[in-house]
Amino acid sequence: MAIYEQIADEVVKGQADAVKELVNQAISEEISAEDVLNNGLVAGMNVVSKKFKNNEFFIPEVLVSARAMTAGLEILNPLLAEANVKSKGKIVIGTVKGDLHDIGKNIVGMMLQGAGYEIVDLGADVPKEKFIEFTQKEDANVVGLSALLTTTMIYMQEVIQGLKDAGLRDKVKVIIGGAPVTQAYADQIEADGYAPDAASAIDLAKDLLD
Amino acid sequence: MIGIFMNNSGKEGGRVQAGQIPILRVDADTIPRAYEQAIREVWEKGISIRTEYDRPEDPPSRDATVVIVVQEPFAQPRFHRSFADGLGGLAEYVMEVVHGAHDYWVKPLEEILKGTESKDTRWTYTYHGRLFEYRVEDLVIDQIDAMINKLAATGYTRRAQAITWNPKLDPPTEDPPCLQRVWGRLCEDEEGGYVFNMNTHWRSRDLFKAWFENVIAITTLMRTIAEEIGKKINSPVRVGRYADISDSLHIYGSYFREIEGDPEKGIKSFFDKLESRTFEERTWHSDFVKSHFIDDGLGKGLKPMLEREMEMPEDVRQAIARELRSMEQDDYIV
Repeated sequence: MAIYEQIADEVVKGQADAVKELVNQAISEEISAEDVLNNGLVAGMNVVSKKFKNNEFFIPEVLVSARAMTAGLEILNPLLAEANVKSKGKIVIGTVKGDLHDIGKNIVGMMLQGAGYEIVDLGADVPKEKFIEFTQKEDANVVGLSALLTTTMIYMQEVIQGLKDAGLRDKVKVIIGGAPVTQAYADQIEADGYAPDAASAIDLAKDLLD
Repeated sequence: MIGIFMNNSGKEGGRVQAGQIPILRVDADTIPRAYEQAIREVWEKGISIRTEYDRPEDPPSRDATVVIVVQEPFAQPRFHRSFADGLGGLAEYVMEVVHGAHDYWVKPLEEILKGTESKDTRWTYTYHGRLFEYRVEDLVIDQIDAMINKLAATGYTRRAQAITWNPKLDPPTEDPPCLQRVWGRLCEDEEGGYVFNMNTHWRSRDLFKAWFENVIAITTLMRTIAEEIGKKINSPVRVGRYADISDSLHIYGSYFREIEGDPEKGIKSFFDKLESRTFEERTWHSDFVKSHFIDDGLGKGLKPMLEREMEMPEDVRQAIARELRSMEQDDYIV
């Protein structure tokens, strides 16, 4: 089995230590960091993403795989920066103010990262000021807002208004998700897109950025 | 009552028409086995009934009164891979139930009393708060400590229990506690050793996405109680069988797509997913889980929790730090 396939396979199995070892081996064999990323780590996460979409993988398995991918990425990141390799886009993501639920947001973030996007995760209970600050600071292409409660999802509108007031709304796409959120609500608050699940969030990001 | 009950799709039969909620029993050696059997039982034999959480487009939930017995809660494999969080998140939930990691997320009493009028989105309770700091007028009662003392003094007592329900605070809220009562008793085994048996009683329960995590946390609490009784009586107390009794154990209608799958789109049903793997392939042993509990590499787990949650009270932080040190020992089972 070629080293890329081995890396992808260990990502799927969620074996962080094996991924680290193989990534180091690939680098020592002078394979480019970009190739290791795309053909090994991202390829592995693509398999995970597909399995999750087809209901073949459980949520904790996705996160165990994400941990393995992250372990490899930590080794590659300085090399990617050195080689000036660009990500597919930068996405600022967070659960809105008042809401401490972050499982859905974490899965979406991990799967987007696995699909080759750079993720700036602001965590849970995030005020609009922080979304605005990081959108500006990181020159983000997309802002992803998550909420699990009907009482907190209304804050998404405030974030969008905040981005408008800061003059950032035309520069950034806003995507939303979470159990109580619907396409109708996305339309109502003028978000650019709504994803009912993590796999759809990847498709949505691709549609908006490609 | 019209509109409350609906027939199970494609099924004829008297359960729904007779207006009787089925009472089901599951008996298993380990937690993952119990989880899978319970899902099959409720899916196949539960009634269809609406819940307060349904969205208009959701089908009614599948629901039953269920008694689940796990003979050996710490037998391996202890972890099913089907739950709605990561392993690091599960570790943090265990700390929430056993050590009160998130008691500081509970909103003030005056906000809780506003019921659904409250705009404060913080929580109205935690299980730890209710079990370890139950408030009656001006008193704050540690019911778990009382259980431990009672059982240490009289192992066969039938009075060692802790409740969560607060009749003043809970009825007006949108999200009242599901766990209602913890009850325990000591028995002797063939060699005269002590065995702690525990029952928990639940008003309502999300079987598909909450039961497993609840049981990992509550059986960790069970072990803590057994250890504390052991310290008091100066004799080891083994963790015995765990009985889990739910008035309404349900699979929400919003999960049916995940349970049934969509063969036309190549999406597997939950049961096909189970059957396409061996039991080992759909579970994890504690040995594998432990490093993820300590730090899942994605910002969750005991170490990241202690770094992230700076508002956590110092005594709670110290309790979690002690748990972390124990977890780093080889013989500790998560």
